[in-house]
Amino acid sequence: MTERAQPPCEFPAGYDGTAVIARLAQVLDPELDESVLDLGFIKSLRLVAGEAEVALQLPTSWCAVNFAYLMADDVRRALLAVPGVRRVTVSLGDHCAAAEIEAAVNAGRPFAEAFPAEAAGGLAALRLTFLRKGFLVRQQRLLQELRAAGCDAATICALRLDEVRVADEAIMIGDKSRLGGAAVLRRYLERRAELGLDCRPTAPLVVDIDGTPFTPERFAAHYENARTVRIALEANGSFCRALMTLRRLDGFEKGGGHVPA
Amino acid sequence: MYRHDGHDVFVIDGHMHFWDARPENWQTKHGESWIKCFHAYHGALSPAEAVWPFEKFCHYGEEALVDDLFRTGYVDMAILNSTYLHEFYKNGFNTHIQNAVVKQKYPDRFLLCGSFDPRDEEAGLDRFRNMMAEYPISGLKLYTAEWRNGSRGWRLNDPWASKYLELAQELGIKNIHVHKGPTVYPLSADAFDVHDVDYAATDFPDLNFIVEHVGLPRLDDFCWIAAQESNVFAGLSVAMAFVHLRPRYFGEIIANLLFWLGPDKLCFGSDYAIWTPKWLIEKFMAYELPEDLKQEYHVDLTFEIKRKILGENIARLYDIDIAAQAAKLGRDGLGLR
Repeated sequence: MTERAQPPCEFPAGYDGTAVIARLAQVLDPELDESVLDLGFIKSLRLVAGEAEVALQLPTSWCAVNFAYLMADDVRRALLAVPGVRRVTVSLGDHCAAAEIEAAVNAGRPFAEAFPAEAAGGLAALRLTFLRKGFLVRQQRLLQELRAAGCDAATICALRLDEVRVADEAIMIGDKSRLGGAAVLRRYLERRAELGLDCRPTAPLVVDIDGTPFTPERFAAHYENARTVRIALEANGSFCRALMTLRRLDGFEKGGGHVPA
Repeated sequence: MYRHDGHDVFVIDGHMHFWDARPENWQTKHGESWIKCFHAYHGALSPAEAVWPFEKFCHYGEEALVDDLFRTGYVDMAILNSTYLHEFYKNGFNTHIQNAVVKQKYPDRFLLCGSFDPRDEEAGLDRFRNMMAEYPISGLKLYTAEWRNGSRGWRLNDPWASKYLELAQELGIKNIHVHKGPTVYPLSADAFDVHDVDYAATDFPDLNFIVEHVGLPRLDDFCWIAAQESNVFAGLSVAMAFVHLRPRYFGEIIANLLFWLGPDKLCFGSDYAIWTPKWLIEKFMAYELPEDLKQEYHVDLTFEIKRKILGENIARLYDIDIAAQAAKLGRDGLGLR
């Protein structure tokens, strides 16, 4: 999503809310790998005397409890990191487990304690799984850009990080530019760093999830797998967006059944 | 029957329902949540003119069913994917007993799926035998995410599931539809994990496993399994619905499936009444795979492949002779379009 949906915000007179919005923009829906702000999940935000109240609206009342907890908790932590914010209260509207999630998140209680029956594997493992899947997806988008620019497998496997950079919002490969992919490259590099993979200038541009470089032969299979992972992850994004659109229409959930043309 | 440039396309809807979700059938609040969740998927992905009010969606009845499938929906035969949900609905959601009513009335039009639940263990084996003896069951529909006495689901490789699959095979069953799809509130997402299909498909090489909803959103896991196991097939319901709202994404799913599974393992399903076959089939037949996807994946979605997907592939699994069946259906009063 390119345009940033600005939720209705209420700040004290003269307060510059830029830092708050910037923090929120970094909170991701782990599964969709997109900012909860861009996804429109932040319904409203109010900051008074160092106390923030954030209302989330997820696409459906049945969004998975673990993901809902994770996003609510991340939002709370993000805002607590803003200087001057002392207390954060997150609400979840009509989510099926709103009361339990709100009680746990707002008191800083861990998920496993609040939902002992749901916590198979734990939230940390869940988060890591999706960070890793997100890495593959972000890399796959970069590979699409490189292929569209005419790079073959051998060229791609030989590229080093310092041979690819962003200039004027374009990806530069050596002195050749590929327009439009700057955000794609940035997102890939961000996640690569976040996962602790080698980001030194001489490191290969394309590595697998364990940081191992590819031979052109192994790269072909990797590329085929990664594009399927991307399509799979986009399924829930597609459902979420369609359901979110529907939810914003007054009356549908009350049985009217009307959707816009 | 769909006609395209003078050619007939015999359509088998591999996944549809005849449900009763009226409030008087709700066992708990979950009965209400369930059908509201379905209705949200229906509203979110259908074209505006195909969206039903909630009341009709809860119970559409036999006339609408026959109309939407056979009179206006191009469908020649349909597979009743029985779903039980006894903890949510007093008489069940669409059990084989409910579904048998239309099967009996239109025997050549419908194939009826029965089911088993391995958590019934020994006690359920006789019930399963009775079901097979008393009803014209052609295939099974298994719902691994179903709730039962505090359990939130089961797996196809549970020891008791294997016993039931053995018995089903002994009793002549060939096709097993397994629901592996998007989360439906309040079911547990873990119970939709597709890896158990891999074990069952290896242990039962003579059974066909049609993975309904192609495991979405676990399409990647599904593809790796289906590419390896010759007896694992793709049931396209849910994926089909993207053809309207997200055609590009639909193309990406189809291109991936054609790449990993080839054109002979993809089977159409509408998931009626979540979506109606008429618009799904019209939009599918009009759909052209974007040129860049054809090149990227080295696949195509030709008329011949569409015809396989809409009917020929699943006809093969159920030993249906399309020419003979079409001739028979021509005489049943519903007629061929």
